[in-house]
Parts: sequence; structure tokens; C-alpha cells
Amino acid sequence: MNENLFTSFITPTMMGLPIVILVIVFPAMLYPSPNRLINNRLISIQQWLVQLILKQMLLIHNSKGRTWALMLISLILFIGSTNLLGLVPYTFTPTTQLSMNLGMAIPLWAGAVITGFRHKAKASLAHFLPQGTPITLIPMLVVIETISLFIQPMALAIRLTANITAGHLLMHLIGGAVLALTSISPAAATITFIILLLLTILEFAVALIQAYVFTLLVSLYLHDNT
Amino acid sequence: MPQLDTTTWFITILSMLITLFILFQTKLLNYTYPLNALPISPNVTNHLTPWKMKWTKTYLPLSLPLQ
Repeated sequence: MNENLFTSFITPTMMGLPIVILVIVFPAMLYPSPNRLINNRLISIQQWLVQLILKQMLLIHNSKGRTWALMLISLILFIGSTNLLGLVPYTFTPTTQLSMNLGMAIPLWAGAVITGFRHKAKASLAHFLPQGTPITLIPMLVVIETISLFIQPMALAIRLTANITAGHLLMHLIGGAVLALTSISPAAATITFIILLLLTILEFAVALIQAYVFTLLVSLYLHDNT
Repeated sequence: MPQLDTTTWFITILSMLITLFILFQTKLLNYTYPLNALPISPNVTNHLTPWKMKWTKTYLPLSLPLQ
């Protein structure tokens, strides 16, 4: 228990070689794409899931927003499977890395915003000033709205990082508490263990919810800009 | 926070870009979705009609009264 709490978030290397590449690429192997007429159960479930997500996500978009379908689907599947694989004990979770989440959030946000400025310049600029603002407040509000626009990708990335990191830390801490309590008082240890179990179930839910939230927010930024 | 150590950022972001933008998208593009099942009756064969529909309708010699 003397080890640092944050050890599990250090990017793994083996003999100086970054294994993080394998960790990040691994979820892609869980989505095979065979060209058979009748697929097995795994692929059928995946295809059903993809179609479900497509129906849910793309309902709000117009035809221009729907060109992002592949991007949004691969985003939610990538984040979701990475989060779920990170819940396997003793594994490294790439979504706890701020770098990776910023790397996902900034290009997607920038893509949506640039699309907006290119095709709907007037409407995009109008977002910088809410209607009916008193004249004295106009300069300040434009500055605030500009900042809030540029903070969007940061919020997106930090939300995912913080949620996954906090969940892993909490499980680590409560797991340590259970271990420490077993020798002191078995009753307290049992209660703590039940809490740990419930927390683990919550973390499974959070893994999927955060993937959904990330994709939903990217999709909303896209919706505002198409 | 080891996440803020920027030495590993490049390799992490690079592998994420490859996975998300290339691997996942090619995989999902190559999915073959089964089309919805349509009922096709196999017994419908296209008979070539040896007569014209518009004039056989009124001239039916067999239905005439026998003389």
C-alpha cells in the first residue's frame, strides 16, 4: 500500500519501448469485419449496437451532419471499449490520459467549428452574442462567449479524464481499505467489500456513459454548426 | 499526476489517431449489414403471353352459345 496512488496511470513502457501503442490499438481487434452472409453472435451484437447508436445519434442531424456518422460511431465504440477494457484488473486505461482525450476532443471540436464558420459564418458569429444584451455589456459578453467556445474541447477532454481517473482511484482506495480491514474487523470489511462491488458496477456504467457523453457532446457541437 | 508528464504525449496521441481514424473507421466501413428480408415467392415464373391483353378481353369464342 506504500506505492503511489497514481502508478497505474503512468504510460507503460517495456525496456524503453512504448507498449501504450498496443494497449490503444487493442480495442480495434475486438471489432472484426468478416464478409460472410451470416455472422456469429459477437458480430451480430456489434452490428445491432452500431445500428442502434446510428439511429439514436443521427436523428437530430441534417444531411450534412450525417456525413460524420462513421466518425461518431467509431468514436463511441473506441472510447467505450477502451473504458471497459480498462476495468480489467492490472490493465492500463488509455482514456485516463489527458493527452489522448485532448487529442480526440480538439480535432473533432475544431472540425465542427470550422465547418460552421465556413458554411454558416453568420449564424456561427451570432453565437458570440446572445440576443437582447444591453449595449454596455456587449464587449464583455463577446469576450466571455469566445472563451466559452474555446474552453469546450478542454472541458470535453478533462471530463472524460477526470471521470475515469476518479473511478479507478476510488476502486483502488476502497480495495485497499477492504484488504486492510480484513484483519481488523471482518464485518466492516464485508460492508466495504459490498460497497466496492457496487462501485465496480457503477464504474461499468460510467465507462459506457462517458463514452456516450463524449460522443453526444461532439455531436451537439456538430449540430450547432451544420 | 503522471498524465501531465508530456514526454509520452506524442506517442499516445499518435497511436490514438491511428486507431481511431484509420483502424476503427476501416473496420466499421467494411461491416456488411444484412438487408431486411423480403418475401420472394419462388413459383412466380414469367409466362410469355401469346395474346394481347387488350383484345382478348372482349373476344372469348368459347363463351359464345353453341350453335
